[in-house]
Amino acid sequence: METKNVHVPGPEGKTQDHSLAALHARLDQLSADVTYLVERQRKIDDFLDDFGPIAKAMLNSTASRLDGYEKRGYFEMGREALGIVERVAEGFTPDDVRKLGGAVVGILETVRELTQPEVLKVASEAASVLQNAEEAAPIGIVGMVRATSDHDVQKGMSVMVEVMRQVGRAAAAVRDKRAASPMGQKKAKLDAVLGRRMGTQKSALGVERTLPPRPREAASKIAAPASKGPACATPAAPAATATVLDGVGFSADGHMTDASQWTRELGQKIATMQAVDMTDAHWKLVEVARKDFESTKTSPNIRRLTQITDVTTKDVYALFPKAPARTLAKIAGLPKPAGCL
Amino acid sequence: MNASQNNARRVAIICSHGGLDEAYPSLILANAARQSGIDAFVFFTFWGLDVITESKLDHLHVNMVGNPSAPVPTMLAGLPGMESLAGSMMMKQMKELELPTVREFLQILDEAGAELYACELAMKMFKREKKDLAKEVKDVITAGDFYDLAEGAQIIFT
Repeated sequence: METKNVHVPGPEGKTQDHSLAALHARLDQLSADVTYLVERQRKIDDFLDDFGPIAKAMLNSTASRLDGYEKRGYFEMGREALGIVERVAEGFTPDDVRKLGGAVVGILETVRELTQPEVLKVASEAASVLQNAEEAAPIGIVGMVRATSDHDVQKGMSVMVEVMRQVGRAAAAVRDKRAASPMGQKKAKLDAVLGRRMGTQKSALGVERTLPPRPREAASKIAAPASKGPACATPAAPAATATVLDGVGFSADGHMTDASQWTRELGQKIATMQAVDMTDAHWKLVEVARKDFESTKTSPNIRRLTQITDVTTKDVYALFPKAPARTLAKIAGLPKPAGCL
Repeated sequence: MNASQNNARRVAIICSHGGLDEAYPSLILANAARQSGIDAFVFFTFWGLDVITESKLDHLHVNMVGNPSAPVPTMLAGLPGMESLAGSMMMKQMKELELPTVREFLQILDEAGAELYACELAMKMFKREKKDLAKEVKDVITAGDFYDLAEGAQIIFT
């Protein structure tokens, strides 16, 4: 600052004077800068003085926290996680990963669905129940049945059933897909070659047990009469001869006891006694009835008649208004129709 | 078939239950009567209306609860769907025996000249109309009408 007062006279004095002034200005600028820097340094020093203990404390706490994490196994877990990633990389081909890419959206959607607040609430409530499980009173079958009358339980059951249904559907879809895949077909072929039992996928979901063959006696007992002949009718034992008219035996209820003795003339006589005016339609039914008796050894009832011919129940009643099947059997020289149809 | 005029035998059958096992006796009795030359008419009342209700007659059920002859214990008989299962099983067995279905039976009865009637009071109770019934049903009548019709007939209640 003393330089300010130095004055150098000379011919070039004016120019020297001029450069000196410039130098002066620069020095002034420098001095201001230095002052600013000094001030800043002081502020930083102040700050560091203040910050030092804080930083130290922070460092300490970070270190102890990391130490805690280490103790709790976070890093171990991280290392393990890396291992998992490695294993994933080993176990999956790029193709799998590409496929997975498509599924990621689905997975994320599932996660989003699962993390909806209401879903989480349900889960947390269910979890709280499980936590208090030891306080729950044991119930038996009766208690369980009684509980089903509770509205909430009913709702829960409905939800469970729906979940099970969806899981079952998904499982079936997966099974079908696997069976249809080239790998599944290969496996099936291999199983066939090795003679492994097919259809019993023991390791798969939905193992279907094969039931031991049930004795079909009960069913065959019921079916037996049906296979022998017309419905609800079993061949009756020939009725005892009660009266003999013109050498032809009749039972007590008016039926001929021996169908082979029948002639058309005899039939006509019986018809007249029964007050039936015989027409071609009547005789046709008589023939049908006699033919059916030959094959089944049973006098046909109305249902049987409608089944083996194209006449309707109405027609049969029109032809023989009173007790059609019985009248017909009498005229045709057959025993009384058995069964109740 | 002017039965009262020629003094022929007549039966009036009252069918008051709608189970498959309870419907058949009425239908078979009525049919057997006609086959034996006996005039028959059937009066369907209360649950028996189901037997002639168009929307129900094809799937009548069998009640197993409280039935000591049921093939399953009463404990199990009350399980949901049991009467429906029993009904379909019984229908299957009837089919094996070539028994007519309820619908066929109604038609057979109609063709055989048996008369089918529905109870008016029960119809009101179950909020059914004549058009809800099978076409074989002749009329909707009251209990008083029933007695008029049943004059001189043997009455069978099932």
